[in-house]
Amino acid sequence: MNMAFKKETFRDDYTFTNSPEAIRRFPFPFDKDEYMYSVNIEQHTKGVPGSVFENVIDLDEHYVAECEDRRITLEQDPDRCIALPHMMDAQWDMLELGMESLAQDFPEHFQLTKDGDKWHWINKPLGIDHTFIFGDLSTLPMEPFEFIGRQLQGDWVVMDQRDDDLFADMGIVTSQADWSLAFDAGMSFKEWHGPVPQANEMGIFERALKYLLHLQYGSPVRRLNWTMTVNPRLDTSPENYPVWGPDNVSVTADNVADKVFLRVELQTLFRLPRSNAMAFGIRGYLISVRDIATYPRWAKRLHRVMTNLHPDLSEYKGLTNYRQLVIDWLAPMDDGADIGEGTHPE
Amino acid sequence: MERGYRIRSKPLYDPLIWEEHATDHVVIAYAEGGIGVLKLFQQMTPKEPIKVLFADDEHAQRSYHDIISKLVDEGLQILDDKEGVLSAVSATLDECVMGTQFYIAGNEDFIWAASQILKSAGVDDKNIMKEQCGSLARPVYCVHCKTIDPEVHHNVYTCPGCGRHLFVRDHFSRRLGAYMGLMVDAEEPGNIPDVEEIYP
Repeated sequence: MNMAFKKETFRDDYTFTNSPEAIRRFPFPFDKDEYMYSVNIEQHTKGVPGSVFENVIDLDEHYVAECEDRRITLEQDPDRCIALPHMMDAQWDMLELGMESLAQDFPEHFQLTKDGDKWHWINKPLGIDHTFIFGDLSTLPMEPFEFIGRQLQGDWVVMDQRDDDLFADMGIVTSQADWSLAFDAGMSFKEWHGPVPQANEMGIFERALKYLLHLQYGSPVRRLNWTMTVNPRLDTSPENYPVWGPDNVSVTADNVADKVFLRVELQTLFRLPRSNAMAFGIRGYLISVRDIATYPRWAKRLHRVMTNLHPDLSEYKGLTNYRQLVIDWLAPMDDGADIGEGTHPE
Repeated sequence: MERGYRIRSKPLYDPLIWEEHATDHVVIAYAEGGIGVLKLFQQMTPKEPIKVLFADDEHAQRSYHDIISKLVDEGLQILDDKEGVLSAVSATLDECVMGTQFYIAGNEDFIWAASQILKSAGVDDKNIMKEQCGSLARPVYCVHCKTIDPEVHHNVYTCPGCGRHLFVRDHFSRRLGAYMGLMVDAEEPGNIPDVEEIYP
């Protein structure tokens, strides 16, 4: 893949943009005209070349800029990376998963060579060249989970499995849809998802947990989730709500198409071999409402999903202030024609 | 939100009842938690060894230590204050054996302060019974500056750490022993809803 990494920002002057290729491969999540939570989990098998499902861990034109945004957030608030003391095996597991999949899927950018426990890691886009002993903390500049976490796009939570439950005992979280790792660390699966409306009542998390407890090593799974964000901001954390909260009431009929972004999470789950823990990748993709309308089929679909959205979901996802403005902007593009099922752009 | 919505992390508490299959019993209570102790001792007293650690709130009008002293004939330790009880919990843990059942009674701040001591010693949560007694005051963690206010009585309060006006959510962290406080006027600074005492 020929990839030029963009120089862009996700805060202050917000210079983030998507290239036409990034728009085309955007993981649009709506396959029907109505949206409600479901246990929409599928095998994380290799998808169509060029799609976000092509590789184990997706890499795109925003890689370098996202890693830089993560660095800034961690500098301001080190608690965005937490690993409870019993998670050391899982830390090494995670380092292995990250390095092996990047090196295998993107050999022009990443190289990993092993001589027994002596590993040599090269990350060309970020300019990292480091030799270390796998399993020996003293040979890395920081703990292994943070070391690899700073080199991956998207947030990662690693869940410890015990007592037939999954506990969010480790994470690196700097691009979240309004949840706090420092607050949620250590929570059981249902506590962690406690605030989500409707899904709890429908038994979604109970079924998802039962499924995940049996996840096998080597058979990762994935699902898509979504919300909306004002401005292409990665750090929409509760911690910094005072910073981005005012943006929520800044949307007008004139700026809605460029200021409101659909934020889709590609969530992947991997069983880890040493610790039996579970890595949970939450990779966010941002696209402006204007860029969605590049494809008339997506404009129609989003118009209908927004119109039909359950009020509890609208409130929970924080869309209430500007949902009607999005609907009004898209309305002229929706002729009401039947567009069938499926998420494809054309 | 529709009726029926509740946040699953909010802890629910039960009245204390003696656990029949325990090797030992340790009762930990503070202030109005004294009522929880008295209710326990109205039930049949178990055969196994019992330890009771209790302190009155020195500022409260009601005191329970006299009546507890009359009812509890073995293993009673009356402490001076909340910190005294919590230190006694730590000291007691060294002597505890597998199969010990723990009982905590008090307000939420006390319940989770005591739980954290037990948890850090490796006690399983299912061996800790908890009864909320007296005040409904909530310990609340400011998600912005990380300060915990141990006793919040109102739906909206001023964070003692950063001075922001925080709304108290039902979302609860057992690790921190606190509910989440989130800035209430972040979107429209100065737009603060009516403040009401809903956790008397």
